[in-house]
Amino acid sequence: MKKNLMFTILLLSLLPVFSVRLFSQEITMISPYIQLQYFKNTDDQRILQTTLTYSKNRMELPIPGREISFFTGGDKKELFATVITDNKGVARIELNSEMKLNTGSDGLWVFSSEFKGNDTIEAGTSEITVKDVRLEMVLTEIDSIKTITVNAFVKENGTEKPVSGEAVKIYVPRMFSLLPISELTLDEAGTASVEFPSDLPGDSLGILTVIAKFEENQTFGNVEKQSTLQWGVPTKYSAPKFHRALWTKTAPKWMIYTLSILLTGVWGHYLFAVISLIRIRIEAKRQAAKEYRI
Amino acid sequence: MEVDKKLISDLTPEIEKTSIKWYITFFIFFAFFAVGIYGLIQQIDKGHIVTGMRDNVVWGFYIVNFIFFMGLSYSGALISGVLHLFHTGWRKPIIRMAELITIISLIIGPFFIFFCIGRLDRLHFLFIHPRIQSPITWDVIAILTDLFGCFIYLYLSFIEDFAILRDYPDLKVAPWKKKLYKTLSLGFTGTDKERKILSNARIVMAAMIIAIAIIVYSVLAWIFGVTLQPGWHSTIFGPYFVIAAVFSGTGLLIILMWIFRKVYHLEEYITKRHFVNVGVLLTVIAAFYGYFTFSDYLTKWYGSIKMDSLLIDKLFTDYYSLFIFANYVGILLPCIIIAFPKFRTIPNITIAAVIAITALWVNRYIIVIPTLETPFLPIQDTRPDWITYSPTWVEWALTLAGVSVFAMLFMLVSKIAPIISISEMQEKDKNEIMK
Repeated sequence: MKKNLMFTILLLSLLPVFSVRLFSQEITMISPYIQLQYFKNTDDQRILQTTLTYSKNRMELPIPGREISFFTGGDKKELFATVITDNKGVARIELNSEMKLNTGSDGLWVFSSEFKGNDTIEAGTSEITVKDVRLEMVLTEIDSIKTITVNAFVKENGTEKPVSGEAVKIYVPRMFSLLPISELTLDEAGTASVEFPSDLPGDSLGILTVIAKFEENQTFGNVEKQSTLQWGVPTKYSAPKFHRALWTKTAPKWMIYTLSILLTGVWGHYLFAVISLIRIRIEAKRQAAKEYRI
Repeated sequence: MEVDKKLISDLTPEIEKTSIKWYITFFIFFAFFAVGIYGLIQQIDKGHIVTGMRDNVVWGFYIVNFIFFMGLSYSGALISGVLHLFHTGWRKPIIRMAELITIISLIIGPFFIFFCIGRLDRLHFLFIHPRIQSPITWDVIAILTDLFGCFIYLYLSFIEDFAILRDYPDLKVAPWKKKLYKTLSLGFTGTDKERKILSNARIVMAAMIIAIAIIVYSVLAWIFGVTLQPGWHSTIFGPYFVIAAVFSGTGLLIILMWIFRKVYHLEEYITKRHFVNVGVLLTVIAAFYGYFTFSDYLTKWYGSIKMDSLLIDKLFTDYYSLFIFANYVGILLPCIIIAFPKFRTIPNITIAAVIAITALWVNRYIIVIPTLETPFLPIQDTRPDWITYSPTWVEWALTLAGVSVFAMLFMLVSKIAPIISISEMQEKDKNEIMK
């Protein structure tokens, strides 16, 4: 009895150990990756975008529904907005004139975004420094030669100065992605130009869009200018005429004919066999009637 | 109709009475079937996660069994059709077995497709949205056409026997059975005209099911052959599958001959001559089958296309023992056993048939699985069980259930109809008298 009691006590004392081993889960904190980007589009809209993701099995997965705080200023940060990340883990805010954005004497904006973290996700911050740039794109056509000219200027101490030595990329949007046309380097006057290809397909009227971009530029961020004009080769995308193929809805005729001939042949013979069975039945009845009469 | 009493008593051993052995055997098979049903319920309840099939290897035991049973069916049709069409003298005791192999395998085979389909609730889409371009649609049409044709062919071969059983006064069976024989015999009395009609229909259907068997099994082979998968994309897959089917069907016929001979004491009807003749047929088919196998792998190996090379490497490493068994032992050993007259005993021929049929099942396995384990795109960070396949107990249970249903259906048929055609055997007697 005493031995049994001791055994029961031992088991009960070991129970929490088993339960901890079996049911508790080791909490592994997620280390997020936080990226802050600056965008200035063709309409001069300025956007700050923070992407909150984490890596699992070498895949980058979004962290949705988390609050991101946006700050302005370097040493002395000032909170100017908080945004919740969407399903793609993206929090986006448009910068407008009502926001008090601190700039230094060199015209640089310092932005930072912060995720405070929680029980399962570690905190994270990201910071960028941006200088506002004015990007211009001039499209000219002289003697059938189409030329793209880009100019870029920054304001320093109230006066505009040309941007030199920076790369501007030229694209034309196609169905799935942007087609790179050229990568230009701005000269000392803040200007660069390139001849536009004459054989690029446009829509049915030859209309296409040209985009000039500072892309992930360390000083200016992502800045673009775009223009739509009739510089492409008019292309009529007529829907392909109905045709029969393996991959269309309707099968090639030879396939239908072959199958029909085969099936008709086979089922025709089946019909012959079934008719034979009926004939046997009729013959048997006739025979029975004959025997009955006899 | 005139009947030979001895023939009826010898060839209808289970029609009048049911032996205890029959019940025990049937119960054992039914137990396997029940385990299979339990496995199927688990699969329906929990999904295909209970099987070994995963993202890459999406076909497993079920497809292997489907091909195997369909092969048995088509070979049964081919063998019985050829034997009937060419009036082979020694065919009579075994032709019924070949016919039954055809129809029973054809009933079981498609069930393995149902087990394999993830969304069975969408099965009817195959019929309401068919695409003639799809080999799957060809297969559905082919199987249904074959099933219907085989039923007609089997029924034609049974009519005379039903008439004999209907007219046999001493047959002590339940009234429903008598009524069944009366209905199914269509009033056949054996007049010359009736015989002529029946004979013509049987000849036409025999020729037809030979053609259908070849076409239908080729269609099944093309499901694999028209894909670009390594190991499957082969122009000879159609004839290769047909030959392999006949190989397996001949093997099964020998096994069934041995079982029925032993169980129902049919030594007088199924003699060594039948075993030797079917055994020689097995050897000839094995030679063709071996030639096709060699030809298929040789061209793939010599071509050295990257994916084919990977597949052949896999076959000679991971699947080495199975490959050797399926393509060397399973072909050469039956040939050696039957080719030498010294070894041609009934048990030896039966053993050769068991080896042949097992090897052919393994051959189906190594056609389906290693190819799916050799994906075109290398996949990173995937779980090992997504790349490699190993069957679970559910798949084993349903496989054994399929074999059990095959046996049970054979046993049930033996309760209703003669396992050797009485009319065919009577015809033989008449011919001998005429001689």
